Amino acid sequence: MIGPRLSPPPGRIFGLVDLCVLLALAAGIYGIVTVARQWSGVLQPVAEIHLQSRFLPVYMLYSVTRGIIAYGISFLFTMIYGYAAARIKGADRIMLPILDILQSIPVLGFLPGFVVGLVHLFPHRNLGLEMSSVLMIFTGQVWNMVFAFYASLKSVPEDLAAVAQLSNLSWWQRFFRLDLSFAANSLVWNSMMSMAGGWFFLTVSEAFVLGKHDFRLPGVGSYMSVAIEQGNLRAQWQGILAMMAIIVSLDQLVWRPLVAWSKKFSAEEIEQHEGSDSWLLNVIQRSQLLRGLRWIGDQLRHVRKHASGTGPRSPDRIWNGEVVRWIKRITIALFGAAVIYGLLKYVHLLRDIGATEWKAIFVSALLTFGRVMAAVALASIWTVPAGVAIGRNPRWARALQPIIQILASFPAPMVFPFAVGMMLLLGIGLGVGSIVLLLLGTQWYILFNVIAGVARIPPELWEVARLNRLSWRQRWQKLILPGIFPSLLIGWMTAAGGAWNASIVAEYIRFKGQMLATTGLGAFISQATDEGKFHLLAAAVTVMALAVVSFNRLVWRPLSVLAQSRFQFSP
Amino acid sequence: MPALLEATHISQNFALSGGKSIAIFQDISLTVQEHEIVALVGPSGCGKSTLLRILIGLQRPSAGEVKYRGKPMTSVNPAAALVFQNFALFPWLTVEQNIALSLESRALADGERSRRVREAIDHVGLGGFEEAYPKELSGGMKQRVGIARALVVQPEILCLDEPFSALDVLTAETLRNEVIDLYTGKSSPVNSILMVTHSVEEAAFMASRIVVLGSPPAEIRAILENPLSYPRDEYHPEFLKLSRKLHALLSQALIGEDEPEKAATTDQSLVACAVPNVTLSAVMGLLEILENEKGTIDLVELGEKVDKPFTETLLVVSAAELLGWVTTSGQQVQLTAEGRKVLAADVQTRKQLLNAQLRRFRIFDLILRMLNQSESHEVDEEVVVSQLAITYPHEAPRQLFRTVVNWGRYAGLFRYSSTRKTLYSRDRIELLPR
Repeated sequence: MIGPRLSPPPGRIFGLVDLCVLLALAAGIYGIVTVARQWSGVLQPVAEIHLQSRFLPVYMLYSVTRGIIAYGISFLFTMIYGYAAARIKGADRIMLPILDILQSIPVLGFLPGFVVGLVHLFPHRNLGLEMSSVLMIFTGQVWNMVFAFYASLKSVPEDLAAVAQLSNLSWWQRFFRLDLSFAANSLVWNSMMSMAGGWFFLTVSEAFVLGKHDFRLPGVGSYMSVAIEQGNLRAQWQGILAMMAIIVSLDQLVWRPLVAWSKKFSAEEIEQHEGSDSWLLNVIQRSQLLRGLRWIGDQLRHVRKHASGTGPRSPDRIWNGEVVRWIKRITIALFGAAVIYGLLKYVHLLRDIGATEWKAIFVSALLTFGRVMAAVALASIWTVPAGVAIGRNPRWARALQPIIQILASFPAPMVFPFAVGMMLLLGIGLGVGSIVLLLLGTQWYILFNVIAGVARIPPELWEVARLNRLSWRQRWQKLILPGIFPSLLIGWMTAAGGAWNASIVAEYIRFKGQMLATTGLGAFISQATDEGKFHLLAAAVTVMALAVVSFNRLVWRPLSVLAQSRFQFSP
Repeated sequence: MPALLEATHISQNFALSGGKSIAIFQDISLTVQEHEIVALVGPSGCGKSTLLRILIGLQRPSAGEVKYRGKPMTSVNPAAALVFQNFALFPWLTVEQNIALSLESRALADGERSRRVREAIDHVGLGGFEEAYPKELSGGMKQRVGIARALVVQPEILCLDEPFSALDVLTAETLRNEVIDLYTGKSSPVNSILMVTHSVEEAAFMASRIVVLGSPPAEIRAILENPLSYPRDEYHPEFLKLSRKLHALLSQALIGEDEPEKAATTDQSLVACAVPNVTLSAVMGLLEILENEKGTIDLVELGEKVDKPFTETLLVVSAAELLGWVTTSGQQVQLTAEGRKVLAADVQTRKQLLNAQLRRFRIFDLILRMLNQSESHEVDEEVVVSQLAITYPHEAPRQLFRTVVNWGRYAGLFRYSSTRKTLYSRDRIELLPR
């Protein structure tokens, strides 16, 4: 940017848009004050939840705040972890597998650590409890963002890096101008996905049982869980509507504008995401008030630039010094010590588990594995044809894409009670029924990716298929299935990973005051948490992480290699 | 007075898997004086671009030293700017921001900063495009942004890495002239230009000194002075003479001078050298052109006809010569009787003729023997690649393997499966008697 380009806002001083901006500002301040009061309030482990609709707006405010703070932490974590993994030589060999394992641990695996640690840290204020709820949401959001950022950093074009080096950009300049800008597109898309991932376990993150202690924080998630427990249908519908409102407004007010804005960071010559236009971004860009603010910001930046005027510094020199080498060594040593200590404690924890309990864990794991596979297969049966049909028709795709996005963002556990009620009527037990519940949460990922995959098949190939009069069957065999395979695979991987995690809420449900459960690893984990049996929880979480990671390594990874080498359309 | 840039005994190795390494170039020494245009010319893949990056400090050499005005360089040379083959523009920055990027780290007054950006934009004629994003621009305009971004730092040494090869012929011609104007213009800060190109004409048109590099491992084959004054006339006798000389030097570097044992069809001994990285359809195309030209053609004329970099044309000619289908003497390429036979044949017969020819190459003989030694007539790609790396230490083994597979498949010598990564044949293959 060369100097300030914007002149102070001329002409019309104030418009309707500006009024809205001001009102939003006032509402924002009120919101912050309300949240601050709740957070700093006296510790109240089980908040009283009122099911009347007039309490819902405040609950929505609490939940959104938690989601946003969790997202902020996710973003910071992504920047630091992703950057370190990509840029410290050899770091990714350790840091990526760690990420892989963390990603496969269901939210309940983190719960005891967060709650015990943080509530003890702030024994008299709500802060500790609030923080642990936020961190649980964070564990549902963060992982794919880190992976995406890491992948972006690794694929920064060599020529652009050379330009940055030749221009002698400082570390910060290079980070903003090149690394972050290059990653912007994928970061925004993954942030959208992450937010949805965070909402998924909202009911768990805001209301949970840990041994003898019951915890409940005011929010839409806990409102839902109370409504479900009491079997209050009206309240359940209200909760669902509230959640919908949160998702739709975040989509319209945050993600749409961000996606539209991030389009300019796309390295591709052709615009890819059609219809990613945002009314809000247009309004904001027209707002006199915000233009004025931007002008002030530019002036400030201008002043700061003059004040600092530092010369260029090479990050290499800072990072490769003797001091840094020592810092690295000490960090590794400390980290190693912590890992060994943790391992010892962990082994100690697992020592009490008998053979029968191990056997129960493995049987449960097998059952859940079967359910996960069944859910992915069942979801594919309808989503693949539907996705192909939608993807082949650009008008449908444009119209349905936003709806599917919102459906995918909606936390499925909130509609579980309806599904369970229906299944009980039909006489289906939770053993089979939980497959349907897993399906509810994960089918969208497959649908999503199939639609995107169909769009990637070059139109010429469809023409060839038509010219050669390929039969319906041949078309699927020779063109569609191989063509969408890479995308379908991504959908399957995401869906299966999600299904494993979702098993903790699908196999163990509080419904109209009674407990419904079936044998499975998810139910095992939920029950262990409820009963405060931490050694069983640790063992079951470990088995789940192992199952997910080894399935990734043994099945998904070879398939990805195959997809990339044989089924990719060359650019 | 010390030279602007001085490189002494530069070598660069490229590490292969398994701890081995191959030399890309060895022991290169050259200087860039004040106020001259130096062009590095050589076949593609000879490491010209790597050499350029070493000279401006973007990359460190495996051995040797680069000095700027007598001082050894440890990091990027602040007096140098680089223009890239594929523009390397930041897609999320406007034209103006892309150009200003080079100044971002410099402590300049804002007035000075925008004045310099303004100047650079005017220099290359980008006025009116300040707010445009790169994706809105044509290739020529993009490269103008690339040039402006280099100019804005007022570089003493302007480096160009194949700057016009991604552009169409007309645009390239225009930009070449513009760069010359920049260099000769009085107001320009550019002191010297160091450029990499594979086009002989470009080097002759622009450079005051031309450094000819050989094929890998590259070494300096010759350094030609080009005292013609700017702007140069491409039909000037001196220009034509220089251009011919350059062509001859490059041909020498690539095909070598009269080595009759290479092409002799009656000779029973195997052809020892590796195969050049060209497709057989390109070789067939050469034969067709020769036939149209009544059997002989001048190399330079041929180069113009096929509108490909001269060095690539040379590779095709050398492949045809290895196969015994053409002979070269000096600058003349001539179709042989064998070549005519191939031309007259149908596709199947061509394959058979080629099949017979390839068996005379040591490299194919080697692979066929490996196939015969295996029970199942299968050899892993990796085994062949490492064998090639040992037998032909100066070639890039993977690239050589790809060429060999292409030729061998075409001639029906053997088959190859890319999913299993193996070479195989249906049954035992008859070999030439040794």
